[in-house]
Amino acid sequence: MSFDPVCITGVGITTGNGQGKEAVMSALYNAEHRFGYMQRPGRQLPSLQAQGPAEGFIGSEIQELVMPAAISSQLLRNTSFTAQVALATLSEAWDEANLAEVDPSRIGLIIGGSNVQQRDQTLAKDRLVGKERFVRPTHAMSFMDTDIAGLCSEAFGIKGFAYSLGGASASGQLAVIKAKQAVDSGLVDVCIAVGALMDLSYWECQSLRSLGAMGSTLFSDNPELACRPFDTRHDGFIYGESCAAIVVERVKSISRQLPAPKIYISGVGLCSDGNRQPHPSLEGEVTGIQQAMAQAQLTASDINYVNPHGSGSVIGDEVEVAALNECGLTDAHINTTKSIVGHGLSAAGAVEIAVTVEQMKRNKLHPSRNLVAPIDGTLPWVVDSAAEVEINNAMSLSLGFGGINTAICLSKT
Amino acid sequence: MEQQQIFEIIVNNTKELLPELESHNFSQSDSLRDLGANSVDRSELIMMTLEEMDANIPMAQMAKANNIGELAQIMFEQQA
Repeated sequence: MSFDPVCITGVGITTGNGQGKEAVMSALYNAEHRFGYMQRPGRQLPSLQAQGPAEGFIGSEIQELVMPAAISSQLLRNTSFTAQVALATLSEAWDEANLAEVDPSRIGLIIGGSNVQQRDQTLAKDRLVGKERFVRPTHAMSFMDTDIAGLCSEAFGIKGFAYSLGGASASGQLAVIKAKQAVDSGLVDVCIAVGALMDLSYWECQSLRSLGAMGSTLFSDNPELACRPFDTRHDGFIYGESCAAIVVERVKSISRQLPAPKIYISGVGLCSDGNRQPHPSLEGEVTGIQQAMAQAQLTASDINYVNPHGSGSVIGDEVEVAALNECGLTDAHINTTKSIVGHGLSAAGAVEIAVTVEQMKRNKLHPSRNLVAPIDGTLPWVVDSAAEVEINNAMSLSLGFGGINTAICLSKT
Repeated sequence: MEQQQIFEIIVNNTKELLPELESHNFSQSDSLRDLGANSVDRSELIMMTLEEMDANIPMAQMAKANNIGELAQIMFEQQA
């Protein structure tokens, strides 16, 4: 542990499985999923709408978002679904960390994710075909992802800084890494990292399917079987609406009363593959893991839980398993949050850190869905039911298109 | 479109933008600014109204209006 450690004091999670830590963790421990043909407007190819949802894209969608009473309806005007989910999720983390007692000028906010409001924009454009001159003036504000940072800063009175940060599917974890660095440097005392909900429209879904990144062909008739990271019959990621907020702060700057236990960010890793490809790189993943372990002053045998990226893509899962083996992370318990939540893209890294923190607090790991025949049967997968495990040090990985590798170590001491 | 009809569209759109005005008794002399609509709200309201009218009027024309009645009058006179 470093001389001036950084810890996580608040967590908020919203997924298709539920809203709030308790609901989401309960669903995870019971492997309760929401996978099906997606119903949200703007997420079906217009040419297929007449044929009904059976031909649709598979994913997990939030059933009903409950907005905290403190968020005024006035503030929610002209806000995207992504922005509303961010506000609700941030509110949970804010309350847990009791940030109302912190000087607003010492709080920073990083919204992880770029181009996250695609569905809202597609719906608006579809509505105005041939009538483009009536595009709403507020589009000029909302098309930029910084609108979400501005909105959240207004709702919570954040005065340190507030901006958005893009890192593809590593955005959420990248935001947490940058939040740690912001408090490490003394720029602020508290920094909130939000993995924003990536609101895909049919444009993104169709292109991700065509690219071969999004599944599923094998299980197109069985949506509940489609999401199967690390299983030999995986054939692409399955989307899952989600968002998480993580409150990060320097232990030494905490002056208010907060409940134990603390989870520390003991090390982070970040490197680029030097390419714009969607493909993973063994070298990049290994480097990220080694950077995080070195900073945490941990060896592979100290890590007793891995929350992997595990998108469910064939090559992505294979390379990640190879990276874990090369780094000696072969004895750490491992499960797949995406098998139950789906892949939140920009949100995923933050959601998985949030889930890792909550599992560490409970010393209980959630099972993995559809992991019938793991591509590497030697790793100690948590498969059929939740497992009581004392977790002292955990590793979580995120990977993004464009050669982005991130890794983070979370520790109890 | 008749001027009174345009006025009613403006009132309905104002209520949609500012739900707290749902029970307000609107008059021609009401100023959007005084009702709590900021500059972003006002430009949004004008565009919503132009879309409903399917009218092509430069935004700069509407800047001269001091109240809802004058806004409805400008839109009435300028509509193609």
